[in-house]
Amino acid sequence: MTSAEGRNCWLDQSDDETRLHLAGAWELAGLHERQAELEALGRLPPTAFVIDGSALQSIDTAAALLVLRHLSPPRASGRIALHGFDARHRRIVELVRSRLDATEPLAAPRRWRALARIGLWFAELGQLLIGHVSFFGLAMSELSRVALKPRLLRVRELAAQLQQTGLSAVPVVALVTFLIGMVIAYLLGLQAEQYGANIFVVDGVSLGLTREFSPLLVATIVAGRSGAAFTAQLGTMKLTEEIDAIRTLGLSPEQVLIVPRILALVVALPALVFVGNVFGLAGAMVVADAMLDITPTTFIERLHSALAPRHYVIGLAKAPVFALAIAVIGCRMGTSVERDTRSIGINTTSTVVQSIVAVILLDALFAVLLQALGL
Amino acid sequence: MTAPTAATAPPAAIEVDSIVTRFGAHTVHDGVSFTIGRGELVALIGGSGSGKSVLLREIIGLLRPTSGRVRVLGTDVWNAPARELEALRRRFGMTFQEGALFSSLDVAANVATPLREHARVPPALLAPLVNLRLALAGLEPGAGAKMPSQLSGGMRKRAAIARALALEPEILFLDEPTSGLDPITARAFDALLASLSRDLGITVLVVTHDLDTLLTIAQRIIVLGHGRLIADGPVQQVMDVDDPWIQSYFSSRRPQRSENPPDGA
Repeated sequence: MTSAEGRNCWLDQSDDETRLHLAGAWELAGLHERQAELEALGRLPPTAFVIDGSALQSIDTAAALLVLRHLSPPRASGRIALHGFDARHRRIVELVRSRLDATEPLAAPRRWRALARIGLWFAELGQLLIGHVSFFGLAMSELSRVALKPRLLRVRELAAQLQQTGLSAVPVVALVTFLIGMVIAYLLGLQAEQYGANIFVVDGVSLGLTREFSPLLVATIVAGRSGAAFTAQLGTMKLTEEIDAIRTLGLSPEQVLIVPRILALVVALPALVFVGNVFGLAGAMVVADAMLDITPTTFIERLHSALAPRHYVIGLAKAPVFALAIAVIGCRMGTSVERDTRSIGINTTSTVVQSIVAVILLDALFAVLLQALGL
Repeated sequence: MTAPTAATAPPAAIEVDSIVTRFGAHTVHDGVSFTIGRGELVALIGGSGSGKSVLLREIIGLLRPTSGRVRVLGTDVWNAPARELEALRRRFGMTFQEGALFSSLDVAANVATPLREHARVPPALLAPLVNLRLALAGLEPGAGAKMPSQLSGGMRKRAAIARALALEPEILFLDEPTSGLDPITARAFDALLASLSRDLGITVLVVTHDLDTLLTIAQRIIVLGHGRLIADGPVQQVMDVDDPWIQSYFSSRRPQRSENPPDGA
């Protein structure tokens, strides 16, 4: 297998040439050991070189690369002669030698400095927002075209989207708001009980739920469900060139895909908020009955007198605005997917994060505005 | 981990023995058998739906045949313990139709992945070794820094070959390597396969529709049809087989018409 002394390589120096003998198996699997053995040979004399492969059992391209790179820096690879290789081994070594120059590692590209990274990040954020604004404008102009010419509306697609974004979301919305209603009633009840002010729990729960919690919660659920779905659907369609096909057939992808999605969400979200209100109050009613001795009848009577309709209406009125933000972000991120499966995942994640941030920002804006208006 | 010593008589590269494949009531293969020796460059052809790609997936252990036996480098693919199968997978490379590069990694990292996972390469040698793979696949060193989404179709396929070559495979499987390439790029690809087979002694099994590949580089052609092997041999011999599909397949060659319109992209 190897030389008499069990070595895989050794040097043989004569007057004006150095002979490197290779023996045994030179393969990818033993690359570390072979490298150590080569290095153990010490400094190589600057003479002409001959590699003797007569004792080689096997050599693959990785090992050939190791040997040639070990020899090559001081010596032009052309001055290395091969001797005694069997034909198969020689072909492999020659092949690697012919590509040796291409294996030189390139200088690593310059990394961005920390400050530049921050700048880049803001520039990207700016571009993203500008893109959103322009996409919003596009979506609005397409929507107005549909408003002027209702014939353009894709009713089937709209119905399908209504079902997916609205009806199918009812169970999860109902469950979540029911539980949150219970939690709020329980927490308020703990405090109110100490003052014997049980009945005011109804005031607190109804105001908090219908004006704030229900719209926010439902919008968050919808951002995770439908916003993400819009991005994934449109992104995949872009990747498989479906969107290009739609355009080539003389149709407008905005009309076919985006307008129905935006409209569906704008209709579905207020409906879901309504569902959320009902189930949230139901949850509160259950806790009030069990813990605070407020019978459902009392609860509903109190609800009538305590909950001013404007709170309820404000809660519902926020929903279409949230829906618009979620749908525009979802569709925009979907259509800006690149030719690459990874970017679908990235954009979908981004849609969920952006939508939730947008919903909370809009909610804060509403709070400030309504405060200023004295509502 | 250690490669088996060459002292033992090497088994055939690929042995396929009476493979039957059924999807529900639909029979794809009804007893397909052949053996491919080491160092051969074999093309597997057949009409659409004849089960070429399915057979390929059965050979490399991705899809279990209904019955029959597949041996690759002497290992029974469908009865070997998982550990043995894993070891076997390191000894062959596969390229998929669309390249199947990892889209989150640049090309160099794609090629380095099998090396990092399965081979102990001295760190200083990793980058040169990756570059060597790229060079062997006909890519410039600069291509390593690109992301797969930035590559043209031909470059993607070359990058996939570079990755398949990473672990010094004994067999290379290719699924339609020239489909969707313009004729010039496709011919360069054929030359690449021929040189890999000749210079590195790699056994190559290529599934293809490309007549030029068959006529120029394939040493042997296996034709699938009607669930069976309808021909097996060198090109000249296969061309003369009296089968309507084979006749019409090769006759499309005679009145010189372009069978592969270059794509516009």
